[in-house]
Amino acid sequence: MARQRAAFAHPTRRLLILIPGSYAFTWGFIALGVTGLVSLGVDFHEAETAMMLLAFLVFPSLFLWAFASPRPGRAMALLFGGAAFMVSAAWAIQRGLLV
Amino acid sequence: MSEALWLAAAAVLSMHGMGWLALAMDAHWGQVMHSPAENFLRTRGVLRALGAVTLSLSFLACLMADRPSIAALVWVMLLTASALAVALLLARWPKVLRVLCPAT
Amino acid sequence: MSAHFRNTMTWLHTWMGLALGFVLMVCFFFGALSVFDREIDRWAIPQTRFEPQPLPSFDRLLLPVLQRVEPDQHDYAANMPRLHDPTKGPMTPRLELPVDEYWMYTTHRDPVLAMGVGFLVPLPKDPDAHNHIHARTTVDPRSGAVVPDDALKIGSHWFYPMHYSLNWRWRDIGIWIVGLAGFTMLVSLVSGVIMHRRIFREFFTFRPDKHVKRSALDLHNLTGVVALPFHFFFAFTGLLIFASYFYFPVSHTLLEPLHRQHEVLEAQAAGLPHKRSGIPAPLASVDAMVAEAKRRWAARDMAGEVGFLKIHHVGDANSFVSIYRAGSDRVALVGEGIHFKAATGEVLREDPPRSAVSEINEFLTGLHLQHFEHWLLRWLYVLGGLLGCVCIATGFIFFVEKRKAVHAKAGGQGSRVVDSLAVTTVTGMVIAAVGMLVVNRVLPADMAGKGDWEKLAFWGIWVLAMLHAFVRSGPLARGGINPAWREQCWALAMLCFAAVVLNALTTGDHLLKTVFSDPYWPVAGVDLSLLATAGIAVWAARKLALRERGAVKTIPSEVTTRAAEAANV
Repeated sequence: MARQRAAFAHPTRRLLILIPGSYAFTWGFIALGVTGLVSLGVDFHEAETAMMLLAFLVFPSLFLWAFASPRPGRAMALLFGGAAFMVSAAWAIQRGLLV
Repeated sequence: MSEALWLAAAAVLSMHGMGWLALAMDAHWGQVMHSPAENFLRTRGVLRALGAVTLSLSFLACLMADRPSIAALVWVMLLTASALAVALLLARWPKVLRVLCPAT
Repeated sequence: MSAHFRNTMTWLHTWMGLALGFVLMVCFFFGALSVFDREIDRWAIPQTRFEPQPLPSFDRLLLPVLQRVEPDQHDYAANMPRLHDPTKGPMTPRLELPVDEYWMYTTHRDPVLAMGVGFLVPLPKDPDAHNHIHARTTVDPRSGAVVPDDALKIGSHWFYPMHYSLNWRWRDIGIWIVGLAGFTMLVSLVSGVIMHRRIFREFFTFRPDKHVKRSALDLHNLTGVVALPFHFFFAFTGLLIFASYFYFPVSHTLLEPLHRQHEVLEAQAAGLPHKRSGIPAPLASVDAMVAEAKRRWAARDMAGEVGFLKIHHVGDANSFVSIYRAGSDRVALVGEGIHFKAATGEVLREDPPRSAVSEINEFLTGLHLQHFEHWLLRWLYVLGGLLGCVCIATGFIFFVEKRKAVHAKAGGQGSRVVDSLAVTTVTGMVIAAVGMLVVNRVLPADMAGKGDWEKLAFWGIWVLAMLHAFVRSGPLARGGINPAWREQCWALAMLCFAAVVLNALTTGDHLLKTVFSDPYWPVAGVDLSLLATAGIAVWAARKLALRERGAVKTIPSEVTTRAAEAANV
């Protein structure tokens, strides 16, 4: 019973961390995508629409990959780290685009 | 009025297509025909091809009825309804599907 | 595919499916009802039971109504303090707020018109933001008479928002929960396909005469797989519709500066003024603009009716009128917008054809929001929604059947709780919806706050159904069947029948009239659907009674080993 409970807690903990993690990565992906496309000359609303179309394909795929990953710690680091990097990059590009 | 006729044709074609695809499968051939599936490999191959062609014709009928964006949706949903109907017939009245392959 | 991977997917599908399945039942069921939301409105508000009308004269009939609309009290109380800057002066009284925009919306299914007004906040904290206090009104287009607010549109203003927000408005938390449920649906579809080893071979398989666990799983797989495109696309597009505003509001937060900058540029490029000029100007004939818009659409080989009309910067020299075509013959919503200078009626801009990305987006959101006129497709959508409900419900049943014998032996209450919650969200939910319709017919039409009482009745009936389910769940602790399933089926049948009878008694629109002598399909459709529901409920109740009587014999065979359980998947 105790072994079952330990085994059960682990996937639940993974789930509770990896859903926000995949969400954060997707957020960064959208931000970087929009600013990147706008800096290449694409219209803002077009860029936003394109990234929204991709968002809910990326988000669940990312989550499924991370959840099934044999190394959940590495997956978590990639997700949150990637999110932080992409958000910073998007912020920097936006600063460059503002007049 | 012709839109309704084309849609009716699409529905009938979809039902036939799904029915033939079902009959081409081992378990369901046995269920409907009460004869061993291994003896009728060629017939079932023909039915499978017929099923695929009929489903494509169903899509063409949908395109005759409506604009392409709507036709695509109608066709996909007709596939769902037909597959469901065939599955329920197989579960409750499998003999009804015998009309799809009367010669055997 | 490794066993570990499949087991992980199984765990996800089971536990995320269980936790969010209760929410998904609400989304699929009320989503299915929403296909015919406006028809349900007609049933609930008898004074609107007439045919959809051509758009009446804006100048003569609609403008006078709009000019009499007052800012909504709740919106003013909630948002004025947030938007008004107290350092610039005292808060403008509600009835003195200046008008900034008018809008009007209609569909081919709606006899009544929805209209709204946006009022400006004169002294705002952030002058560049969208500072509006709103008001809405519903109008009979034949006379301009206003439909009273107390008449709740049970279809479009209760069942429809139920499916995307659970009608839980506090900080939009309901929308977030539904978002998580939609995400779970996508995860469950993918994990379900991965788990289902014989997906092609068992495409048509349904064995109702096997024991409950096998036939429930068969039905779960069948309804999940044959409607897989529907389930995937509705979950995906539902999330997409709310993506940019609620779920990933990147352009309203991190990228807000870039967004604002772009809006100004876009307005300049389009020649459509972004701000008021401060110089007053009159409004030219909007009817003439509507006529010109229809002429231009016909010239482009897409003749159509007006779906949406909006007047920006009302009363100002920069005011412009945007007129959009109703997309009732295609999937995309409203489109082909034409914009007119309000003071003179000249065309400022005709929206160009959409880019590929925009077309894809319009197609996807349009296929979910269904403004098209195609009765077969609408009924097929209802089928899809109900198949989704069956898929989730059979998922619950399989979960309980697989564990209840083991739990009964160990004295655990898990399957008892899950089963009671399943009753609540399957039969209980339908009882609440139909019960609300019954209450709608019982309460007098001119009762003050009738809508609030109907909402209270909905929640109250649902809570009662839940209590009933839990109280009657004793047999689960012994590995048996909860009699609440059967009892609620009977209750549902009686309520459906009562609703139809009450409609006939209180409005005189009985089925013989609405089908034969004076056809009115919106009401006939609702009545016939209620009768069909009653029929299915009675059939189910009798089947359940037979199973309950036979249940004692089948319990020993339900105690399976772990290996046998795994093989069932």
